[in-house]
Amino acid sequence: MKQILMGNEAIALGLVHANVDMVSGYPGTPSSEILGNFEKFSKKFDCETYAQWATNEKVGFEVAYAGAIAGKRTCTTLKQVGLNVASDALMSASYIGHLGAMLLVSADDPGFHSSQTEQDSRSFAKFAKIPVFDPATPQEAYDMVKIALDLSQKFETPVMLRPVMRVSHAREICEVDDEVNFQPNKGEFKRDMGRWAAVPPKGRFAQGLEQLRRVDTIAQYNWENFIEPRVKELKGGQTLCLTSGTGDGYVKEATEELGLEADILKLDMPYPLPKEKLEKLFDDYKTVIVFEETYPCIEEQLSSPKLHGKLTNDVHKIDEFSKDKVIQAFNNVGLTDKQSPYQNKKFEDELPVRPPNLCPGCPHRDVYYSIMKVFKKKKSIYSSDIGCYTLALNQGAIDTVLCMGASVAMASGFSIADKSKTVIASIGDSTFTHSGVAPLINAVYQKHRFILVIMDNSVTAMTGRQKTPERANPGVINLKHIVEGCGAVCMEHIYTPDIDESVAFMKEVKKKFEDMDGPLVVIMREFCVLDKERAPAMLPGIYAEVDPDKCVACDICTTQYKCPPMHYNEDHKIEIDPFLCIGCDACIDDLCPTDAFIERKLK
Amino acid sequence: MKYQVVIAGIGGQGAVFLVKVLSIAAGLKDQKCLGTENHGMSQRGGSVSCYVKVGDFYSPAIDEGQADLLIALEGNEGLRNIQYLKKDGGTIIVNADEKFPNIEYKTVKIDAFEKATNGEIPIQALNVYMLGVTLAKDPNFPFNLGDIEEAIKVMNAKMADKNIAVLHKAIEDSRSV
Repeated sequence: MKQILMGNEAIALGLVHANVDMVSGYPGTPSSEILGNFEKFSKKFDCETYAQWATNEKVGFEVAYAGAIAGKRTCTTLKQVGLNVASDALMSASYIGHLGAMLLVSADDPGFHSSQTEQDSRSFAKFAKIPVFDPATPQEAYDMVKIALDLSQKFETPVMLRPVMRVSHAREICEVDDEVNFQPNKGEFKRDMGRWAAVPPKGRFAQGLEQLRRVDTIAQYNWENFIEPRVKELKGGQTLCLTSGTGDGYVKEATEELGLEADILKLDMPYPLPKEKLEKLFDDYKTVIVFEETYPCIEEQLSSPKLHGKLTNDVHKIDEFSKDKVIQAFNNVGLTDKQSPYQNKKFEDELPVRPPNLCPGCPHRDVYYSIMKVFKKKKSIYSSDIGCYTLALNQGAIDTVLCMGASVAMASGFSIADKSKTVIASIGDSTFTHSGVAPLINAVYQKHRFILVIMDNSVTAMTGRQKTPERANPGVINLKHIVEGCGAVCMEHIYTPDIDESVAFMKEVKKKFEDMDGPLVVIMREFCVLDKERAPAMLPGIYAEVDPDKCVACDICTTQYKCPPMHYNEDHKIEIDPFLCIGCDACIDDLCPTDAFIERKLK
Repeated sequence: MKYQVVIAGIGGQGAVFLVKVLSIAAGLKDQKCLGTENHGMSQRGGSVSCYVKVGDFYSPAIDEGQADLLIALEGNEGLRNIQYLKKDGGTIIVNADEKFPNIEYKTVKIDAFEKATNGEIPIQALNVYMLGVTLAKDPNFPFNLGDIEEAIKVMNAKMADKNIAVLHKAIEDSRSV
């Protein structure tokens, strides 16, 4: 049956067709749509499955992994930086294995579209010694989900699927199974202390030896099942291109369009590779080039003087693939001397940059504005975290961004290192439950003096408004109780779109902090303007416009507040874009020193 | 047949919606098609560019100098992406006023913001409006009005009538462009 699917939908459908009955993950672009779609397909086809967002990636991984130990077919979904969080569990799981099957979907983001690093999950799989599949298209992603889960069950090891953003968020017509024959897998934990609780050094050493043997066996399996059938189609000659994932498409298109003669061998499973067998193939060629995104995962597993790639400085080492980069690599190796047809003139004049920004009406903007108003920049350090609120960078309200949860422990560090400044950390509610609790306990027991602002919009906003633990369990999980349970002093404030009120509250916070000898936690109860359930009731529908006679072009709104509708017109007066203003009323009366923002009269 | 389309705009304008519509339209004709979208951070009011490649392609992205068509939901975002157009024969269909500069590509410009300001179209339908202009003005566009209407119905039956009305309005308006 043919169906038009986005890559992440194809993966989700593949999971249902592969009889997976537990999916546990943490949202992160570009992986976020897999779990939700799995839930949707499960309902549609009446399959009894577990599909839940975990508090963080490590938790998500461990839930799915235990399921696989107990015989279920399971999956965990996360993005490449989320894999860092889950890595502790992964490294050991790779030694121990399981009885059911487990697929680890780690979605990569070459080109840094929505990520703080460009790391290659395939290389992580190599590090953890688990097999990895690298799909080039949504169709391949669908097919590989099924193959990978069967491989996982056969060899009792977690298997990774590594789609990149251009696969997860690509759409194409996919050929999928006509029917769903879902059979829930029996979950039955079989006690085996020697395996599930293997103790170092002896127990783990034995598992380590087994792991090495398993990797060799899977490399051989890779050759027989995925590589050898394609070797028969190779012609031999000047050049062999080894490709992986999306790299394959760019090489195919570029060689076709430019008439470059080369054999292309796509490696569906870039790790583990049958080293000797692949290197034997090189005998038939003068040159071998590896095209892979973004680390030299394949290249590092092979050695030959004929081999070219990132390690020989012939293929690009950072950023997304393109056909231009393919022709550049051919030129670098000396195979061709072609002017790339994949370059063109950009528009000559300077264009206004348009970085991502907090949405019009977003409460985060007011909170950051009031923090800066009360805790002056020169006397403060603003450590922040990963989420929508990172975009307050545009307001100059953030000094550091490292990784999930880092705002809290970094605030500790800054409070020790630079006592002349007040440290104000900011973190989202989802990020706080993800990895902010442990560093808060650390700060309480070591008496670190800083203010932690938890910006609670009750959704994981950036990745598509997934429900947070508190939202999903109202009255049961309560951030304030968590904070107080950690032993921290907590102030709670319900946000309203009234800047003066937010500033007044921040002044109270400042006053309270003067008497503190440890961390002070502030919970700002906000909302997300994209949250259809809650936002309409919170937005008064009072739209702004500018009285041009009052605007003195002081720049306060365009530098410290940065609401997207506000911009200068040709007369160098601020103007509000009526299509962008969401009617929050916040800027009227409070923001402008000359009161130039006024209520827009409806025509 | 091979046809490559870049859709440029600002996060929130509905570029992703157009990728979906064109992918569905291709699917309904059983025409090979590869589209990619921007999600996550890039959706928050930042520059967005999406690709649709109709025909026998293997790679999801479009290189510079390769696109047959650039649909720009906003003028500056159009200019930011002109390098993707084919040097010979690339067309830009852009939502812009008379200040949009002269460039070396075939340009169809229409001021959809003005139409929205006058209440002629809802601003939320800007993307569909520009698709309508494309249907009217790009003779090589691999889809016809029927294909797109069908795809819009498949995508969201509830909103289909309103969207199709905007499509027709755009085609009507394009006569005077």
